[in-house]
Amino acid sequence: MSRNAYIARQREAHGRKAVAVLPIHYPKELLTALGVLAVEMWGPPGAPRGDGAGRIQAYVCSVVRNAMAFLGSGGADAVDGVLFPHTCDSIQGLATLAPDFGGWDRESFTFLHPKGPARPSTRTYLDGELRSLARRLEVFTGRTLDDAGLAAAIRLHVEIDEARSAVLDARPFLAVGDPEIYALLRRGEWLWPEDHLAELRAFRERLPAGTRRPGVPVLVSGYVPEPPSLLQILNDAGAWVAADDFAAVGRRVVRGAPSAAEPWEALQERYWAAPPCSTRSADPDARVNHLLGMLDRSGARGVILQVIKFCEPELFDVPLLRRAFAARGVPVLYLEGELETELSGQTVTRIEAFVEMLAAGRAA
Amino acid sequence: MILRRAQYELAGRVVGPFLASLDGWKRRKRSPSGTSRTSPFGPPLESVRKLKEIMTAHFFQARYADGAVPVAWVTSGFPVELLRPLGFHTVYPENHAAMCGVQRLVPGLSDAVEAQGYSRDLCSYARADLGSVITGRTPVGRMPRPDLLACCTNICQTVLYWYKALADHFRVPLVIVDTPYVYGKAEPHHVQYVRDQLEELVRVAEKVSGRRAEPEALAEVARKAKEGTDLWAECLATGMSRPAPWTGIDGFFHMAPIVALRGTDVCNSYYRMLRDELRDRAARGIGGLREERYRLLWDNLPIWFAVREVATLLAERGFNFVCTSYTNAWAEAGARIDPRDLIASAADSYTHIILNQDLPNRLGILRRLSRDYQVDGAVLHSDRSCKPYSIGQVDLKDRLASELGIRVLLLEADHSDPRAWSKEQADNRLTAFMEGFA
Repeated sequence: MSRNAYIARQREAHGRKAVAVLPIHYPKELLTALGVLAVEMWGPPGAPRGDGAGRIQAYVCSVVRNAMAFLGSGGADAVDGVLFPHTCDSIQGLATLAPDFGGWDRESFTFLHPKGPARPSTRTYLDGELRSLARRLEVFTGRTLDDAGLAAAIRLHVEIDEARSAVLDARPFLAVGDPEIYALLRRGEWLWPEDHLAELRAFRERLPAGTRRPGVPVLVSGYVPEPPSLLQILNDAGAWVAADDFAAVGRRVVRGAPSAAEPWEALQERYWAAPPCSTRSADPDARVNHLLGMLDRSGARGVILQVIKFCEPELFDVPLLRRAFAARGVPVLYLEGELETELSGQTVTRIEAFVEMLAAGRAA
Repeated sequence: MILRRAQYELAGRVVGPFLASLDGWKRRKRSPSGTSRTSPFGPPLESVRKLKEIMTAHFFQARYADGAVPVAWVTSGFPVELLRPLGFHTVYPENHAAMCGVQRLVPGLSDAVEAQGYSRDLCSYARADLGSVITGRTPVGRMPRPDLLACCTNICQTVLYWYKALADHFRVPLVIVDTPYVYGKAEPHHVQYVRDQLEELVRVAEKVSGRRAEPEALAEVARKAKEGTDLWAECLATGMSRPAPWTGIDGFFHMAPIVALRGTDVCNSYYRMLRDELRDRAARGIGGLREERYRLLWDNLPIWFAVREVATLLAERGFNFVCTSYTNAWAEAGARIDPRDLIASAADSYTHIILNQDLPNRLGILRRLSRDYQVDGAVLHSDRSCKPYSIGQVDLKDRLASELGIRVLLLEADHSDPRAWSKEQADNRLTAFMEGFA
């Protein structure tokens, strides 16, 4: 079923409004609690099309340029609103350009998450920002958010994260390729959470743990695993994803249930417990330690950094990550793209050569 | 420590000003009239000499600051008023990067950081500054090692990542003042958040400096900062005269004290002098150009390495930049500062910087400047290195043109990296733009 058909069905069957969500971090629990379907918009991939395509300069990242073009051409007309998290300067700019100067004339929301480490000021502020967004969503939906509803939504998302963690952790023993695993995980970007959870559980039941997967385990990091053929190319070359740090996937899987019983505290606890991410201005040492921990636990023999061109938060961390992996003697393959729908032949050759090198046990 | 402090004071009070005077004397000796007969520009401002003296002394003194006084590296939009009473010598990496841009040092400095894995797509200010840190190459002799890094996100998020890289390099405390972007109207919890962070900042800065921020001292600095921004606004306002007594390009250079020395007597006395000179020129009909035929607005940062050549190309045909949204930004910040409650008013003021507000607000500023300064056209610098300033310019261009009936050019360049600049193409575009006025 296409996304638009799914959105229409959710509206008809459950009376749910839908909100398109720009990357990356947002309190999905609030949307779920108020019966709002979140449909994430990572671009979409491909060349920007339509009247909006030229409204943002070519030196701005393709996620934002494509989103502007998509909104401006009516691509998101199936949804009732758009949520712009405070990911970077470019999404911040898009959040005023499209609603204020044309391209998006329905409801728009912002979620200005704090930058930097947890401090008393950021905790107080985050609470205020979460409650502010909740109030706006209440007006939008005509529903009231109560503590019981929020607590139930948090429990649901904790279960989803547990199920996603289980899939990610079981990868060495799953007799299925990375494209299928990622297709499953990324359907969570637009499915109603209960539907996504059901799929995750069905997947685990269908695929009991088998023998250890052959090939070269690698750690992948970057913004979003696009194009999806990247994963097939990796598998065909003889490698598989043993650890994931994509902003769209692994960086949003919160491990462990919150200890707080009070739902607003629990919501905040989950926010701070998420893996370190450049777009939340994570502490560099924390990010490096997190990635090195993933490397150790997964047994990955190489790292693939796949960065979207012009993505400042990610680009600033690249030297740091390169240094950290080099100090461990772990080879790194750096790829840069612009949400192309297919990888170039040159990139495919680089991936193949990288995997061959890892398989042969040579350093970069 | 005592010797170092003596060196620092001597550098700022005696040696720096002396070197600046000597440099000025040498320049005057080389070119006594200050401007050639064929130059399209009017007589140079007398205040330039004083500006050079102040800024030379500031950077010269900075060479001896570490070990003598606490040193803070701060972003241009940081509420520096909170650091001054604690005795910090403040250094502005953006200001320094602009100097690197003027002297075309950025490609070399950028090469050094690109070799470490930084992308050329990152802001050229950040690349220049990080390159200078790595290589030690700088146009100011020496940059003092920071004891504190102070970063405010009201100008961009880039500074956040840039300062994190600096903190990783220097291993000194980094304070972040995160200013939520203002869509329409700032929510109360947004301003409160900034206020809470400023209070956290003061505690960290007190610890680093070993001094206490006394309320009277904070109020005094706030008063001076407010006066300074008001004086700067008065300087800019002289550009409303016909002809404008200076050019917007002059303004880019004369803004250095309001950025780097805001809240000091030196800054305010300088702007009193500049304002008086500009008012005098305006009264006597002395223009920034010999013949001002058309008046333009400039949006975004300058193209530092080509600022003079762009201005000259336009000036030769009588086009003058009489106002810029960039220099204006430092004239507006002071309006909200209240010396009776610096922290609360600084939270409000520094949240409402032009780059931290939405596009309708920006359009309003451009519209107001266009009308107040009676411009005939505008050049919007689409700055590859500054995304928050540049996103939306395509729409701003169309709206300014259709609403005000003025000609608007979108000129793509970079504020510091000449590798993103094509002189011939830019000249063609600017020439075609000017032909449209005939």
